Amino acid sequence: MSSARIKLEPKLLPGDLAIWFFIFMELLVFGIFFISYAVMRLLNAEMFQQYQLTLNKEIGAANTLLLITSSYFVVRAVHAIRQDRVVSCIHWIYAALLGGVGFLILKSVEYYDKFSAGISLSTNTFYMFYLSLTMFHFLHVILGMIILAAIAIKAKRGAYSAQNHTGVETGASYWHMVDLVWIILFPLVYIIR
Amino acid sequence: MMALTVSTYIIGELDYYGMTAVLFLLLTAIIKGSFIIRDFMELKGVSFLWRAIMFGWLWLVCLGILISYVITV
Repeated sequence: MSSARIKLEPKLLPGDLAIWFFIFMELLVFGIFFISYAVMRLLNAEMFQQYQLTLNKEIGAANTLLLITSSYFVVRAVHAIRQDRVVSCIHWIYAALLGGVGFLILKSVEYYDKFSAGISLSTNTFYMFYLSLTMFHFLHVILGMIILAAIAIKAKRGAYSAQNHTGVETGASYWHMVDLVWIILFPLVYIIR
Repeated sequence: MMALTVSTYIIGELDYYGMTAVLFLLLTAIIKGSFIIRDFMELKGVSFLWRAIMFGWLWLVCLGILISYVITV
């Protein structure tokens, strides 16, 4: 009897299918934003080169490390709830939220520095792209943190377990998307010259 | 991922630019992005369609950035 080749069924997407369509739409918008930035940079190379130097690379790098770490904490939260370790899941989500708070604080410091120097969306094309792109991402970080906080609250009320944790996976997928977008945004806006 | 992020920062700090630097930066972003998609988002083993959408987005965006940079140079 020939050994039957067991065809592995593909895994399901983690979390709700709906969140993935939301993620795809968000990525589409950010993708168009990134390409628009790259094309505008093409048309205003000198100006972009000049004003890019005014950006705070240290804060940009620190925020990248914060988001990656926070994303890793969310991975640990998902693994914990799959093993029915609810308290551990909640603690990992708190740690991820701390990373998000750190990101928002550093970002606000960066914006304060720019705004107090009189820079705004209408200063020039570079700053218009820099501010609108990073603010758009900033709002996504806030939304992601609201989702994570809601998950922590529901988890405390016993809503999640090893048998029922779709909500945790859904929130986790969104948070990872926020991280994924920043992974492109940081080199594109702060570093590539 | 952390080391790749630090290397991206160092390239910026040392003010490296030009095609080699851009290729390295975009390759780094693709590696980190792939890691997030495959391991953090857990799309490893998910049906081809979803993986194609996510990895396709990552590669297309980075390719678009590279092409725009090549045209600038």
